[in-house]
Amino acid sequence: MNIVVLVKQVPNTHDVRIDPKTGNLIREGVESIINPEDRHALEAALGIKDRLGAEITALTMGPPQAIEVICEAVATGADRGILLSDKAFAGADTWATSTALGLAIKRIGEFDIILAGRQAIDGDTAQIGPQVAEFLGIPQLTYVRDLEVLEGKITAERVLEDGCERIEAPFPVLLTVLAALNEPRHPTVAGMLRSASERAPIEVWNAADIGAKALDVGFLGSLTQVTRTFTPKEARNTRHLEGSPGSVAAQLIQCLQEQGIRLGE
Amino acid sequence: MNKIATPIPEDLIRKMFRRFTEEEIIPRAREMDEANEFPRWMFEKVARTGAYGIRYSPRVGGGGGNTTQFCVMVEELARGSMSVAAFTAMQCLMGTNFLYEYGTPDHHERLFKPAIRGEKVASFALTEADAATDLAGVKTIARQDGDEWIINGSKTWITNAPCADFFTVLCQTDKSKGLRGLNFFLIERGTPGLYVSKKFDKLGTRATEISELAFTDVRVPFENRLGKEGQGVSNLMRMLGVIRAMTAALSLGLARAAYEHAARYAMERTQFGKKIGSFQLVQQKIANMATEIWASQLMVYKVTEMIDRGERPLKEASMAKYFASEVACRAADEATRVFGAYSYSMEYDVQRFYRDCRFLLFGGGTSEILQTIISRECGVF
Repeated sequence: MNIVVLVKQVPNTHDVRIDPKTGNLIREGVESIINPEDRHALEAALGIKDRLGAEITALTMGPPQAIEVICEAVATGADRGILLSDKAFAGADTWATSTALGLAIKRIGEFDIILAGRQAIDGDTAQIGPQVAEFLGIPQLTYVRDLEVLEGKITAERVLEDGCERIEAPFPVLLTVLAALNEPRHPTVAGMLRSASERAPIEVWNAADIGAKALDVGFLGSLTQVTRTFTPKEARNTRHLEGSPGSVAAQLIQCLQEQGIRLGE
Repeated sequence: MNKIATPIPEDLIRKMFRRFTEEEIIPRAREMDEANEFPRWMFEKVARTGAYGIRYSPRVGGGGGNTTQFCVMVEELARGSMSVAAFTAMQCLMGTNFLYEYGTPDHHERLFKPAIRGEKVASFALTEADAATDLAGVKTIARQDGDEWIINGSKTWITNAPCADFFTVLCQTDKSKGLRGLNFFLIERGTPGLYVSKKFDKLGTRATEISELAFTDVRVPFENRLGKEGQGVSNLMRMLGVIRAMTAALSLGLARAAYEHAARYAMERTQFGKKIGSFQLVQQKIANMATEIWASQLMVYKVTEMIDRGERPLKEASMAKYFASEVACRAADEATRVFGAYSYSMEYDVQRFYRDCRFLLFGGGTSEILQTIISRECGVF
């Protein structure tokens, strides 16, 4: 079985602040980490490998320093890692990124399962997984919190707004997973040190390697552009209610009714 | 296909153990301290990262790392819990090093390899009631009897002893030869005549267990002498720089923890309508902590760089250990002052840093003996 795991290097948003003047993220001194939900996608792949055997390829797109997340994936148990890195990929929106990842997966060759985190903590779009599935023309199971791999097919439990559903899909299939799916293992020391060596099974591919045309990827291949980022102003309208507990309760009920909130009979 | 620079291994190890510490250790550090016992579950969790084998060759199941990477790892662990960092350091270095270097293939298969997998706990026994830095004072005797050694004596302040599966023990084989009459011996738990005392009740590092050992006619096979006759102390001296660099790295981890807690609290706590971090005397404490921590960091990793180049920087390692452990104690003290009365409550972690930092003043040589050594190395004695 061949599994591709999509991973992304993101700034640790626990530390991130936004410059109030420019609206941009202040990245200086902010640690880069593997996107948290991608660790759960990798763990899902490793779990399948432990039970049934599989060849796992970790794939990411990013600047040269994004090699770190590929090293981590290999140190945790992936058999191979690929970093897509090229100036031609710069400025990509989610569509252009999905195109580049889809082309890379086509070059990787046969695959049965693609796993990704539901969304990255820097953009929060949750678009990459579904768009890669569309690009490749394969089924997609998103928001997965439980999965089972059987002969030639996968059963997954998806979390919906009003409940959950259990569905089945044939291979090849793409899944985006939630943190509730599993508890990710840590990489090993030996794996980390091996992954940083010249002998590591890690490759760096450029746009030509995946046959990407300039107009399909990066800024030129993007359908959307970010024109401005800003922090919404918090507009709180606080009213203090005073009086005895009974009077405060009566005032509160009246306020809620004025807001059109139904309070039961 | 592109070629890009491979990442710096030390950076990867630091990130890996920073996250491990934040996810696995920090949320349970207080609980481990309060339980006041060896947390085998945490010992096994650390083992699954391959940490115990970081210094050893991949040929024996190790990570193939160097002293810098080892020190980075224990520094990050110490930031979360000095107890966890201390038993990890014992398992990685003193507890297993002599077995790795001088053990038989049988020792390797039965004890060393299981130890770096976290299946057996290792310990190192040097200190006696009247001997520590003064190694010539060691009174535990190993006498050869045919193809066996008979060991009699006692050891004290032995880290991991209550839970250890085997011990590397310094014994005297020939008193007339002084330091050249000292050798290390492997003694396995359960050997008749080996007695392990009840664990000590201690001020700090309460999740690392320490006790005494007593040996009454303990018989071990001849091959349990680890190293050539008379080379115990010289073999120990070769490791001493690494031990001191490691203790300095542990100190650095604790100092960072104290500093981070103090800096965060200074920006949260208000008095007179202002954050206490806006008062100059609090700023002075934060500035001094940050400056001394940076100096410690430069010293620790300069020393490990020298060790990794094959040098034996005993003077510099002694300076780094002396300085970094004193900085850790000052940082823990200053952090408690920033917290004020709250540092006196067991609800805040700074009290743990304040208790644990004392451990750093003794292991690898006290500040007082290190100053003597440094002065001697400077030609003044």
